Formats: sequence, C-alpha cells, structure tokens
Amino acid sequence: MKTGMIILAGGVGKRMNKPIPKQFLILAGKPIIVHVLEKVEQLKDVERVVITCPPEYVAETHMLLQHRNLVGRFTCVEGGETRQESVYKGMLELGECDTVVIHEAVRPFVSVAEFRELIDSDHENAIYGVRIPFTVLAGHEYVEDTLERSRLVNVQLPQKFDGAKLMKAHEKARAEGIEFTEDASLLFHYEQSQIRILEGSERNIKITEPTDLIIGEAIYNEYVLGRAAD
Amino acid sequence: MKTCIITGASQGIGRAAAVRLSNEPYITNFVLLARSASGLEGTVAQMNHEGKTIKALPTDLSDIDAIEPLIKSIYDEFGSIDLLLNIAGYAEPAALLDTTNENIKTTYFINVFATIVITRECVKYMRNHPTKILNVASTAGVTPRPGWLAYASSKAAVVSMGETLTQELAEYGIKVYTISPGRCATELRRKLAPEEDPTTIMQPEDVATVIANLIHDDETCLDGQNLVVRQLPAPKK
Repeated sequence: MKTGMIILAGGVGKRMNKPIPKQFLILAGKPIIVHVLEKVEQLKDVERVVITCPPEYVAETHMLLQHRNLVGRFTCVEGGETRQESVYKGMLELGECDTVVIHEAVRPFVSVAEFRELIDSDHENAIYGVRIPFTVLAGHEYVEDTLERSRLVNVQLPQKFDGAKLMKAHEKARAEGIEFTEDASLLFHYEQSQIRILEGSERNIKITEPTDLIIGEAIYNEYVLGRAAD
Repeated sequence: MKTCIITGASQGIGRAAAVRLSNEPYITNFVLLARSASGLEGTVAQMNHEGKTIKALPTDLSDIDAIEPLIKSIYDEFGSIDLLLNIAGYAEPAALLDTTNENIKTTYFINVFATIVITRECVKYMRNHPTKILNVASTAGVTPRPGWLAYASSKAAVVSMGETLTQELAEYGIKVYTISPGRCATELRRKLAPEEDPTTIMQPEDVATVIANLIHDDETCLDGQNLVVRQLPAPKK
C-alpha cells in the first residue's frame, strides 16, 4: 500500500500584498510551509512527499528541506499554472500510488493526529470539512439564489484519494479543459466516487489574508505551544 | 542513555560541568569540545569513567564552517544528541578605543557565532524528542561593564539568544536555559579581574552544580529565563 503526498505551495500571495508568496512568510518564527513539513516529517508511512511551488522558489524550498535534514522522501518540483495543474504535476512526480494525500502549504495548523485519522480512515477517499456558521447566497451584484446552509460544508485540506481514480479524473478534466477549485469536486464530478467527510477543526485555517497571520500567531500560542499569556 | 556535548570543556566552568555530570547515571556519552588538547585531557582525567563513553575532540570553534560536519559525525557515532552545553567563552578586556578588530572578531566568533552555529546544527538532531540546551552568558551581559565592551556585548547576545530560542524551539520539545554567572574563579575571570583573589569568589564547581540541576529531567520550570548565578560575599567582620 503505497501512500504519497502532494503539498501545494504554488500561491503567489497577491492578497497578502507582500513581495513573497504567503507560504514563505514567517509565522511563529518560521516559514508557514515549514509548519506543515514538520508535521509531515512525522508520518513515516508516507513514502514520498512532493512539494509543488513557483519555479523561482524551488531552490529555496530545497534549502528549507536540507536545513531540517528532510531529504530522501521529500522533493520539490515546479507547480503548474493552476492549482489543478499543480496537483497533476505532483501526481506525475509521485508516480503510481495507491493513495494520494493532498495538503496545502498555507494550512500550517493541521495536526499530525488529523493526518493520521485521514490516512488511517477505512474510506479510500476522504476529506475534512467543517459546518458553515454563516449564510451563503448565490449572486454577485444581486442575489440570484438561496443556498441551504445545512446541506453545505466548508471544505478543508488535507484530503486523500485513491491514486488511480484521481489520476483518471484529472486526465478527463485536462481533456475537457475544465478547472476545479479542489480535488474532491473534481473526483466526484468524473468518478462519482464516494468521498467521506471527516470532521475538520476550526484551527486548521488557511492563511490567505493579512489578518490570518495575526490570527495564526494566536492559534500557534494557544494550540501548538499551549501557552496563554501570563 | 543520553549524549551530552560540552563546549569549552578544557577548563573553568566547562571542565567543572563535565566532571560533575560524569557522576550522573542518566548521561552515558560525553563529547567534550575545546581548543586545548591538553586541557581536555586534564578534564577527562578528572571525570568518572564508569559506564561512560567520553570523547574529547580538540576543536577550534571559531572555524564555524567546520561545525556542521563535526556535529553530524557526533550524531552518526552516538545516534542522538540530547544535551548541549554552550560554555566556551573568550574575553579580552579593553576600552572601546583600544578594542581591535581582531578582538571583536575573536570574541564574537567564540561567544556568539559559534554558539549559534553549533546550536543550529545540534537542533537538527534534537528536534522531536525532549532535549535541553544550556548557554552560559554572564552578568556582564546584563549590567554595564566599562572596559569589557566586546565581551559584555557578546554575552548580552547570548542572553537574547536564549530568550528567542526558548520560544522558537518550544514546539520541538527543546528546553533552553541561560545562566549568567557572576564572579567565578575561572581562567577567564583572571583576565577580566587580575587583581582579584580567586579563593574569595564563587568556584566553577558551584556553577557546575547549578548546571547539573537545570539539565536534569526533573527541572521543567526555569527554562527561558536568564538565571543569575552568584555567590554573595561573606559578611565582613
């Protein structure tokens, strides 16, 4: 049973208004991506880990790996133009895998226990999701439709999929030129595969906006270090 | 079964710490680093060898590029690094106007740069299991010392390093301790205060006892602070 992992680190950080991609910004003393790498380091049964990142950051990512003795299982390759293409390139680099786990570099507060729960789950396809605590409507300038909140889920990463089925679904999407924002949608669309939704956690936030960095520092102190202010 | 690296182990507090800790049953491997081979031999001769593996490696820590392969070789040989005691220190007291570039460089290379590099390299192997780092600063790092500029400011850096690393390495389970000995009868002190009678002040063995208490597994509350280690003078009669 071969398990591979793709860590998506392809963002360019436009919303952060910073000159470097957000996954390389410092959070709690180290680049955001390092928080993820140090968790993945502890998953000894993941045979290969491929990080996809912008071409100009491949060398820097290799340095981050080397500085932490994360060599061997870990490698970094150039990502694609889109998130979907980055996943596809990551799968090509991983080679044939029974299970592919996908995570993103800007979700630093995933725990080792969450990775374990996902990987050890009996379901061949599983994702994390949290309930949506607010109302979501369809439309831009005008409301076009209502959505039933109780039927919706806020999709989180990490996710895991059957490797062969995910590759097949990606190839179909490439042939049709359709882009999906994440892989559960893509796999469900093409394979109608059953995808288990595991209960996600509030702290597994995606660092997207500048305020997320401030929130991230608080989460780190409270949940990672377990330290409230004296 | 723990492996302990001690820098500056050829004399003074480093030697006293090595000797004191060699009586601790939970530390089995010692790696002693210092420039002086004869000084290291003297330390090894005073240590308790029963059940211990003691390796003395004459090393010039100011050659910071040599530290990475050195630490890797120690890890490869012993399979873990659990305790790091950064005790090596250099002092060449001089007033600002008399402080040469060479003095500044040597002081900072030994007291600051080497300490950072050796810590960085050890942390690569200390991550993810409970380990401890202890840095020896000085009261000179936190109080004004005219005439000791390079030394005092370098020790202030060591104090700052301890505070920062305590937070940065907490997630890895690494505890970082900083002690700032006051007047202590070491060779280094003799350079800083040549007129002083060394028998009237704190001895390296006193500081070694403090170190032994701090790095023991039972100690869990005093990391992250700059602990001043000082023996109050006996009252004058």
